Amino acid sequence: MLQILIQGFLLSGLYALIAMGFTLIFSVGRVLDLAYGAYLLIGGYTYFHFSQTLGFPAAAGLALAAVVGCAMGLAKFRLIVKPLGGGHVAVEISTLILAVVLQAGVVLVFGDSSKILLPIVPGVERLEGATVPYSNLLAAVASWIILLGLYCFVRFTHTGRAMQAVSMDARGAVISGIDSDRINAITWMISGALGALGGVFFASYTQLYPGMWVAPLIISVAVVIVGGIGSIIGTLVVAHIVGFMEITVSALIAPELRGVVTMLLIIGVLVLRPRGLFGREEI
Amino acid sequence: MRLRWHHLALWAALVLGMLLLPYLVGNGTLRTMIFANYLAIFAISWDVLSGRTGYVSFGHPFLIGIGAYTTAILTKRFDVPVEISIPLAVVATMVGGLIVLLPALRIKGSYFALVTLAFMELMYQLVQVIRPDLTGGTRGMSGLPTLTRGAVNGFYLSTALMLAIAISMWLLMRTRLGIALAAIGMNEESVRGSGLSVTRLKTFAFITSAFIAGLGGAFYIHYLGSIAPRALFDINFLFTIIVAALIGGAGTVVGPLIGAFFLTFLLEFLRPYLPGAERYFVYGGMALLIYMYQPKGIIALFEAGLGRLGRSR
Amino acid sequence: MFRGISVFGATLVGTLAVAMSAGAQIKVGFIGSLSSDTGLSTLRGAEIAIDELNAAGGVMGQRISLVTADTGEDVTEGIKAYEYLAETEEVDFIISGSIDDVSLGWLPRMQEYRIPTLDTWTSYIGIIDMVVEEPELMEPYFMNIASDEALATLYINFGADVLKARMGWESVVILAEDTAFGGAITGLVTDALAPVAGIEVKDTIVYDIGTVDFAPIFSKAQASGADFIYQVSSVNSQVISSQYVKLQVPMPMTGVNVSALGLEYWDDTGGAGGGISTLSPIPSVGFELDPVSQEFVDTYQARYDSRPKLPHFNGFNAYHGLKQAMAAAEEAGGFGDVSAWAAAMERQDLKLEKDGKLWLRYGFWGRDQIEPVTQRTYPHNALFDLEPPYDFAQPSMVVVQWQEDGSVGVVYPPEYANMDFSVPSWVPVK
Repeated sequence: MLQILIQGFLLSGLYALIAMGFTLIFSVGRVLDLAYGAYLLIGGYTYFHFSQTLGFPAAAGLALAAVVGCAMGLAKFRLIVKPLGGGHVAVEISTLILAVVLQAGVVLVFGDSSKILLPIVPGVERLEGATVPYSNLLAAVASWIILLGLYCFVRFTHTGRAMQAVSMDARGAVISGIDSDRINAITWMISGALGALGGVFFASYTQLYPGMWVAPLIISVAVVIVGGIGSIIGTLVVAHIVGFMEITVSALIAPELRGVVTMLLIIGVLVLRPRGLFGREEI
Repeated sequence: MRLRWHHLALWAALVLGMLLLPYLVGNGTLRTMIFANYLAIFAISWDVLSGRTGYVSFGHPFLIGIGAYTTAILTKRFDVPVEISIPLAVVATMVGGLIVLLPALRIKGSYFALVTLAFMELMYQLVQVIRPDLTGGTRGMSGLPTLTRGAVNGFYLSTALMLAIAISMWLLMRTRLGIALAAIGMNEESVRGSGLSVTRLKTFAFITSAFIAGLGGAFYIHYLGSIAPRALFDINFLFTIIVAALIGGAGTVVGPLIGAFFLTFLLEFLRPYLPGAERYFVYGGMALLIYMYQPKGIIALFEAGLGRLGRSR
Repeated sequence: MFRGISVFGATLVGTLAVAMSAGAQIKVGFIGSLSSDTGLSTLRGAEIAIDELNAAGGVMGQRISLVTADTGEDVTEGIKAYEYLAETEEVDFIISGSIDDVSLGWLPRMQEYRIPTLDTWTSYIGIIDMVVEEPELMEPYFMNIASDEALATLYINFGADVLKARMGWESVVILAEDTAFGGAITGLVTDALAPVAGIEVKDTIVYDIGTVDFAPIFSKAQASGADFIYQVSSVNSQVISSQYVKLQVPMPMTGVNVSALGLEYWDDTGGAGGGISTLSPIPSVGFELDPVSQEFVDTYQARYDSRPKLPHFNGFNAYHGLKQAMAAAEEAGGFGDVSAWAAAMERQDLKLEKDGKLWLRYGFWGRDQIEPVTQRTYPHNALFDLEPPYDFAQPSMVVVQWQEDGSVGVVYPPEYANMDFSVPSWVPVK
């Protein structure tokens, strides 16, 4: 029981971090970024290359991953999203293609086989039969800190408020003098950095492999759909629902059913409550 | 229905060309054509649902998989002859089409795309869990009965199937029904305003799409002789289908056909030069460029080229 | 005048002969994944064998050339790749580094084209059963790795001799991946462990090869109360073993872990792989080599500087197997008459000795030859030996173990061992 509680909390914190970047784009830019999973992919491999292969300190590896994610986000916005002029379907399809291209690119550079990230902090702690690797603990704590920071940023800074405004009413925001282009670009950069950082933690939790963008994308989709568009609190709560459900199912019922409940949750909520459990609030 | 003679002539030329092909090219090329034919069928099926009505499906492998798995299980586990199992598979897929239709009655746009994606992932997970003794679990099944032997026979069968589907869809889209379907993609409200039953039209589109997907999936699996969930309910497979339809030109019948042939041959052409994952890198990159440059696809590029020629004359 | 014509004639004949010998060549097709260590091992083994044969004048006076077709470890791509080799490249012989599921995918195509084909990695006993049941259809097919039934049979002895007798473990929980390979090994081990080795199977947990988080699975394994974990993992195996190490699961684990068969295992797991032991076909990492195989490894390492740094067992199989396939073709007058080639291939027999003792043997079981331990036939499967002192052929497998300092060696059978079986430091000794 304790094992489930601990594993559930650790995993849910990570899921919240991963889903947050996806939610941001969906609420501010109003498009689904199907290449979102690729940030995790590229972030994870960036960290692997610098910190594990070249021997940079872990903090430098994390920072570099965030920078690369940021740059990817900006490039994606400038080169794909903006030229397509906000057509939803067009963005969804081109980002899907982009994700497959990036996956092939990773295979080209790093090969097909999975890589294992060394624990960022080695060692484990045992609590009455439950095992807590320090690395997973770090991932969860870091996720919480980053999310708190994001919350403060959105609430209390000028740029953050502008993001809120664009997310609620893009046209109205433009009329009131907000440069929606700039806000969008910033949002894409933040989303990229969040995704890349999430990727490092996700990979240290599990493994690095070229197809690793799909699972987090599906999780993000689940969290966003169930939580409703663009609510930080909704995202947090639903990330915990999904995380705990996965852990409970795989520990108590069968490991292979793990993903099934997540899918059923997505389908059920979309069909019954298309606006999500939490409806729409500000980001 | 308006039919122009030069359209008919073009179709006749295509049919004739395909019939003569085995006399002109080697077996290797024919094998590639077979895969292109099946991809064209899947892309046409996707286009009937998504290209026309605007309900973008990210779960098309879900439908194809129902058809493929139904006939695979029936023939392999229950020794049902193929002549019975394939029609049953098509019916099962049409039921699957109705399942996909349910959310489409309530949600639109990105949400619909996501729910279909969830359908595909759910199917992938379920196939492994529910009765793996029937489905073969993660590893799927091999040694399924094949309908044909040899490249030439496989080519004729797949070509006949593909052309039959393509021509009937082409004719269908020329009827009032087809035009109404496309109108849903443009503006659902105005179709409703003009007194047509949108629900009935959508149901028709979804069932037609599922019919084609089931037919294609069943024949495809009896061509391959094996089935594996990882190859079927896969984002990469989905990607190939959608890209084929879009690169060729969504909302037309010839577009998905052109797209499927272009992409399959691009991939085969690259094989000797770029052996591994490099191929997908180049392939995906080209797809992205074409899509970004002309979202209406090769067919629009072609028409623009023709138009320019016409003007310069 | 006369001389002029005869000179002209001679030149013509000479030119024709040159043209013919340049045109006639033996074309070998490789099928397998070009981005996996498994696939590359077979490919490179074949490349080295072909270069050596060509340097020695080719086969039947013809040069050998090699073309490749990538499977990406995907069943459908595998079928396309086989078709490409058969119909576009029209190869004479195919050497395969495919994984089990991919081989099962293209086998119907092999039966259709009847191209002599040698599998160097796939060990699925179901394919050998097909050779038994449909000898005609499967005539062109050879598998020169001991089939998984033979691997599992000897592994059971390891269970009895070491796990039960020396370590005192009496119950096991099986953690198996859901693949053809995993299913076959799990079935064999489950059936034999209790009656032969006296180890009780408490539970079997099957996981998907896409599984990324093993924490709940290990919890479940611990909850079963078994003495040790038996893992069966051929795809993405470094994930389960590195998570075992990261989570410091307080339970011994052994079994099949294909990633641990390569020298890169240590780097891939970032050093988090100590204590993992695995059944391995021969030759494996940590396995002492006879002079001939050592020379192959030296050539290999001089020629390739990318991974895999040491060929996996299938690289050796490809190297020796390709030469045997060519020798069989020479006897049978080419690859055209498949029956004649297959008969000649069955007769191939290469014995490699180390320090005066039979160390490795490359040959095939005869159609009616009965293996004494399992009491069944293994036509077209590589020769192996299931009983000490292993004087008929090498054992079907060895057990290798990685130590926590990164060294690796063979722990079973004793005749080939150079290290003792041990448990990782964090596992409480019973």
